[in-house]
Order: sequence, then C-alpha cells, then structure tokens
Amino acid sequence: MSLKKSKSIGASSPLNGIGKQDGDSRRRRKMAEISQALGASPADVAALRRMAISEGGLLSDEIRCQVWPKLLNMHTDHLPEKPAADLRENHKDYHQVLLDVRRSLRRFPPGMPDDQREGLQEELIDIILHVLDRNPQLHYYQGYHDIVVTFLLVLGERLATVLVEKLSTHHLRDFMDPTMDNTKHILNYLMPIIERVNPEVHDFMQQAEVGTIFALSWLITWFGHVLSDFRHVVRLYDFFLACHPLMPIYFAAVIVLHREEEVLDCECDMASVHHLLSQIPQDLPYETLISRAGDLFVQFPPSELAREAAQQNSQQTAASTFKDFELASAQQKPDSVLRRRRRERVPPQAQAQAMVVARPRAKRLVRLAVMGLTVALGAAALAVVNTALEWAPKLDFQLFP
Amino acid sequence: MESSLELTTSLPGTYPPLRSRIFKIIVIGDSGVGKTCLTYRFCAGKFPDKTEATIGVDFREKVIEIDGEKIKVQLWDTAGQERFRKSMVQHYYRNVHAVVFVYDVTNAASFRSLPAWIEECRQHSLGQEVPRILVGNKCDLRHALQVSTELAQKFADSHSMPLFETSAKNPDDNDHVEAIFMTVAHKLKSQKPLVLSQPPGATGALPLRKSEEEERSWSCSC
Ligand SMILES: Nc1nc2c(ncn2[C@@H]2O[C@H](COP(=O)(O)OP(=O)(O)O)[C@@H](O)[C@H]2O)c(=O)[nH]1
Ligand SMILES: [Mg+2]
Repeated sequence: MSLKKSKSIGASSPLNGIGKQDGDSRRRRKMAEISQALGASPADVAALRRMAISEGGLLSDEIRCQVWPKLLNMHTDHLPEKPAADLRENHKDYHQVLLDVRRSLRRFPPGMPDDQREGLQEELIDIILHVLDRNPQLHYYQGYHDIVVTFLLVLGERLATVLVEKLSTHHLRDFMDPTMDNTKHILNYLMPIIERVNPEVHDFMQQAEVGTIFALSWLITWFGHVLSDFRHVVRLYDFFLACHPLMPIYFAAVIVLHREEEVLDCECDMASVHHLLSQIPQDLPYETLISRAGDLFVQFPPSELAREAAQQNSQQTAASTFKDFELASAQQKPDSVLRRRRRERVPPQAQAQAMVVARPRAKRLVRLAVMGLTVALGAAALAVVNTALEWAPKLDFQLFP
Repeated sequence: MESSLELTTSLPGTYPPLRSRIFKIIVIGDSGVGKTCLTYRFCAGKFPDKTEATIGVDFREKVIEIDGEKIKVQLWDTAGQERFRKSMVQHYYRNVHAVVFVYDVTNAASFRSLPAWIEECRQHSLGQEVPRILVGNKCDLRHALQVSTELAQKFADSHSMPLFETSAKNPDDNDHVEAIFMTVAHKLKSQKPLVLSQPPGATGALPLRKSEEEERSWSCSC
C-alpha cells in the first residue's frame, strides 16, 4: 500500500534548536500529548492544533499522517480508489501539469532512485488531475504541484488525494480562481503587516517600489517551492494547516522583518530589493518565526488590515476572498463544546493583554509587545487565542472590542 | 544554501562602480520554452541541471563590460502560465529597456503564441522603439523541429526583430546564448552597428539574415 511505503520517504523533523536531552524528553512528552488528543473521542482537535503550532510541530511523518486529516476535519476511514489514469489526455491543464511535474526534481529527496521518483511523479500528476477533474471551479496554477508533492511525500497517494482536495477547496481556494486577483489581494496584506511592526522597513520597500511578487511563490506554495530542506517545509505545513488561511502571508511578513537590517542596507531599487528578498536564507530560526507570525496574527488580525489591504492597489478587490474564508471557517468550525472549553482556558489577564497590544496605531510599542505576548501566553495559549479568532469570528469581538 | 537558479555573477575581482549603467531586459514566451534555462545560461555560463517552474518573476543579473564600461544586465525571467500575466507580471514591465521573445523550435504552439506575447508588450507600451529580439530555443533537438527557420525569419521580419536560433543546452555551443544577450546589450549601449561576436566554429548558431527593415532599426546610418 502506498501509504506505508511513503512514510519513510519524507524526513521527520526533529525539534530544532533545543539541547539534545532536554529535547528528547520534551519530544517524548509532546508525542504522548498528541496520542492522547488523538485517542480522545472525538479527537481533541483544539489540542492537536496547538501541537501543530507549538515548538517542533508534529514531530514525525507518522504523526502527520494521523493529525493532518484531523486538522482539516476529515474522516479517512474510506479512502477512494486510485484515480483513473484516463483523465490525462483530455484535461485542459494536462500539459502544464506535466511540464511542471517533470521539472520538479528538486522536490524529491536527494538520493531517491530515479524509478521511485518517477513513480511518485506519475502519482503527483494523477492526484492533481483527479482533484481538478472533480472540481471544475478550481484552476491549476504553477506552484500547486509544489504543495501537492509535499502531501504526497508525507501521506502517500490515497491519503494525499483526499487531503489535497479538501485543502484546495479551502485554504488554497483563492489561488485556484480563474484569475489571480484574489491571490494578489492576499499579497496586499503583506505591506500593512510590515508597516505595523517596522515602518522604516515598510517605507524603504515602498520607496524601492519592490512590489510583493517576491513573496508570491512563498504564498501559493506555502514555501514548498523555496525551501530546500523538506523538514522545514513539513514543519511549516503543520503550522499552516492548523491556522487561518491567511497565516502564510503573516509568515512572509515575519521573514522580511527578520531580515530588516539586510533590507535597509540594500540599494533602494526594485531589482536589488526583489533579488535580496526572493532568496530565502535556508537557516532561518523557524520556531521563533512561527511564534512571531502567530503573535502578529493575534495583534493585527486580518479584519483589522482588510481596509488597508484593499487600498494597496486602486483596483477593485474581490470580496469573495472573505466569503470563502468565512465558508472555510464555518465548515471547519470545531464544535461549540470545544470552543467553549478553549475560551475558558484563556486566562483573563491574557485577554486584557491581548486587548492592550492590539491597538492599531501603537507602532513603536509593537516590538516589545510581541515579546510580551509570546512570553506571557506561551505558544499554547497563543494558539487558543489564534484559533478562537480564526474559527469563531464572534469571539473576535469579545477579545478586541 | 541558495536556490541554485538564483545568482549574480560579476567579472572576477571587479566590482561595478556605484553608478554603473543598468540594462533591464524582460524575457517572455510560453511556459517550457526555456526562458529560465536561457537566462541562467547567460548569467551562470552553463545549463542548469534542474530547472523548476518559474512562479511569478525571477531575477538574474550579470555585470558585463563593453568598451571598458561596466554594465549591469538585469534579466527578468517571467512565468509563462497565462494566469500570472494579467495581475502579476505588469509591475515588471516598467522601465524595461529591451524585450526577448522566446519560442521553442520543437513546439509549434509556442511559436503561434508569439503574436499574443507581442500584443502583451504593446499593452504595456513597449512598442517598436524598444529593442526586441526573437529567440528560437532548443535547436539541439533537430530531429523534433517543428518551426522552420524560414517561417520564423518571416515572422521576425514582419515584426522588425532580429531572429536567433540557439540552444540553452547544447554544450558545443557555449557562447552563443551569451552572444545573443551581448548583442542586445551592445545595441542598448551604443545604438551603433552590431558586432555579433560569433564564437568560432559555431555552426548551429547562425548569424541569421536580417530583413532590410530590421537592418535599419538595428544599425546607424554610418
Ligand atoms: N533539449 C533542450 N531542452 C531545453 C533547452 N532549454 C530548456 N530546455 C528544457 O525545457 C524545459 C523547460 O525549460 P525552462 O527553462 O524551465 O522553461 P521556461 O518555462 O520557459 O522557463 C526544461 O526541462 C529544460 O531542461 C534546450 O536548449 N534544449
Ligand atoms: Mg521559467
């Protein structure tokens, strides 16, 4: 069965950045917590979300096989049969898919035998065409294959097929419109986020007229296209699967902000800044950046940035982005019991603090506030606030009056 | 580790003076015709061993020297898929000095798309006054040829562009891609008659006949 075979393909991520012994025991503890959450009936999805976000993410591909479906609220008891191969010739996107999959060699682990890789590439084509065929409203984009290959390598063909289909109708929905207008709209969140945290970097980038296309491949491939270490990619996928669909753009902003000095030292013109930013350093402190992205999401939730994002370009922006996101939330909303439970766990002072740091114009305080939030709440509580905001828009009002 | 397709090369041991001139060239054409390989070949001097789909716009640059002047040649390598063009790529058409249209000599459809690419340029107000060249790539795959030189030359003539047939891959012919971009750079620098520096013995790399009209547009009257 392809599922078993594939488990060994993807690399498992160790907990990065912590001492070995300490790391081992933390890792064991986390694994125990994850299996407890998985074993609960129904599975404790809120806890799984926290695990996916907090340090080290979901730890191994075995665990991902079990948890990723839960993060997408899916039952995987009955997997569909292998998609029919006769989809190929007559699909309008077949040639583009073929072209992109053929030259996706770098997405496969170095050292994988050619015939194994070629088999996986065939599966990759099948999955993509299967999802497109069943969902004629979805349109293939270059980069979609970079997302699908990650699921294939972690989950195997059959599980990947169902998860990718769900993801495509939810998190990736906007990228798969007939046009990229909604994608562009999402990119328009980038500069407002940067501005809130570091106006100097923002102004510099505006002056250089660098635009946001340097972050396009980050966004629409969830960084799968630009990170060469597969462990980093799956770690980010843990995070993004557990979060709001706009989280990747917050993460993109955090990467730019992380490189503020380099940016400000750069020549202030489009080419130089684009060139600098489009090359992601491969040794980023992922765990730190993930928790920062979560912080920024809490402090500057999409609802607060929406107007500025819309003003980024004079063009009329499509409102369907937000309809889709609401839809996504509605369909995946954890049941109300879970929601209530999570709300109770947020300590009152944390709520108060969240309120304080959320003042939109307190720019200079922002960096301090970011630290405060992370330290005081910890990643778990952060996740609670995060998901509360994300999946239950009404809570938004209570936390951020 | 950096993505192997992104790089900047400069002449060894030199650094461009602060105000060195910049030539900005945009490379367009259907997906898969070899735009990424061509730009990589020019900037890195070799055929990349693993290319990937270009998402959005990639940037490569190389510092060259013409008549003692150091010039930065910036190549903007664009995504071929239609959906990226409408809302994404516009930004990169600004202040472009030259346009390189690419088709694949083994793919007639990529040749038939050329009028649409020319139209896209026109819509971004890049008309005949901006130097444009046509490149037929993958000449190493002779057995699979679908677009004859004659047909391509006719098309190039009718649009007053010089035509180059080349291969980003063909190892016998290392310098030809370089020569093509250098041609554009020379044109931009001087607007003087082009010295097409053909590598000796480059047979497949043809100095193709230029139409009269094109001759006029690419040379001065002296
Ligand atoms: N035989 C041959 N193949 C080439 C040549 N140039 C590019 N290719 C191949 O054509 C495919 C598409 O090339 P790429 O540069 O990614 O095309 P792009 O989409 O226009 O950027 C890749 O598999 C390349 O290896 C060439 O000159 N000869
Ligand atoms: Mg390309």
